[in-house]
Amino acid sequence: MTRLIDELRKLPGIGTKSAQRLAFHVLRSSADDAEKLASAIRELKAHLRLCSICNNITDVDPCSYCTNPVRDQRLVCVVEEPTNIATIEKTRSFAGVYHVLHGTLSPIGGVGPEQLRIANLLTRLPEMDEVILATSPTTEGEATARYLADEIRRTEPRVKITRIATGVPAGSDIEYADEITMSRALEGRRELLS
Amino acid sequence: MTQRQGEAIVLRTWPFEEADLLVSLLTREQGRIKGVARHAMRSRRRFGGALEPMTYVRATYAEKPKQELVRLDAFEILWSPLAGPVDYSRTAALEFVAEVLEEVLPEQAPEDAIFRLAVTATEQMHVGHVWMPVTYFALWISRLMGWMPALGHCVACGLDLRGRSVFYSDVVDGVMCEDDRRNGSELLSAASVAEALRFLRSPLAELAEEEWPKKRAADLRHFAVTLLERHLERRIRSARALERA
Ligand SMILES: [Zn+2]
Ligand SMILES: [Zn+2]
Repeated sequence: MTRLIDELRKLPGIGTKSAQRLAFHVLRSSADDAEKLASAIRELKAHLRLCSICNNITDVDPCSYCTNPVRDQRLVCVVEEPTNIATIEKTRSFAGVYHVLHGTLSPIGGVGPEQLRIANLLTRLPEMDEVILATSPTTEGEATARYLADEIRRTEPRVKITRIATGVPAGSDIEYADEITMSRALEGRRELLS
Repeated sequence: MTQRQGEAIVLRTWPFEEADLLVSLLTREQGRIKGVARHAMRSRRRFGGALEPMTYVRATYAEKPKQELVRLDAFEILWSPLAGPVDYSRTAALEFVAEVLEEVLPEQAPEDAIFRLAVTATEQMHVGHVWMPVTYFALWISRLMGWMPALGHCVACGLDLRGRSVFYSDVVDGVMCEDDRRNGSELLSAASVAEALRFLRSPLAELAEEEWPKKRAADLRHFAVTLLERHLERRIRSARALERA
């Protein structure tokens, strides 16, 4: 029981209380259900891999985004983690392809450019018209975006480089926006078209 | 419950419980403390970008009796690293300050001079101009911690080394003459010894008026980082990353 709780606690967003609740749920559930959960986890590790083009997690290589003829294969959105793709897909406002870095540059965390999946982004550039840099608006995310922009410019100067706008979250009151968020929002302003 | 408000520097954050963040803070009045920012992972409303490492804030927090972690209530940004352009070297320089403060200072031991040093040094770390403030911070924090050796004479034979190059090693306190240097010793040039003395006499703003490319006094930066690593008995990751940048 302690072992299961310890393992569950390693999952993101799961604290001790949630881990205990989940472990008790597994304890009470049928042997069949518990076995299904265990085998789903095993299968996942056995069959999933990284897409050789975009580094997304996939069961077929290349992944479904990279082979989809309806998507704009000349527009690529660079994200930190595979989970960021789902967040962007939910908007239904992006129809290009992705590139997953699997992290951000982090001097204190010992993550340098060699530890990120950048090399296979640069080899994709001849096929690209625009790269959207969608790393987080944190210090490490900004440093990563700037590093990538320099590398892309050096490798393929023709390619247009854009950065996602950041600012006041939708549905929130600007009363609560700090100066940094507010100045970002002003920088990223756009014209209101009639 | 005691409500407090005061200046602080955010050093690090970790995910905590379901949606909270555990925050390591250097406060001006109470030294290094840890607190919990409730719901900070999901909602940015209360803290916004203020939880970014090396943000200088006015923090409002509450101490609960017999509890180690304070409850963080609100942060007002006084200076943010995100107010200016960011690149890898600047990020590494800022994280260097955070990493050193976290390692050097015990909890709840206020050090006003170190607090002011950290604020001044980070505010001078601009893209392309991080090298001198990094060296300044590393030398000064060593001095304030009492770790700075005398550079004017050999620790082994007492030879007067003023105006000369000195040798240092990560296994010896103090600097050495050429004859007494150990295997694996490194050289600090006479010019950089002179710069070190100037760094320890001059305000940062005055030095910042000169050009400090990465190469200038690079051996002094290496000396200062080695000195810190010797006393901390560990490698400083961000400093290593900075040299590779
Ligand atoms: Zn793919
Ligand atoms: Zn000597």
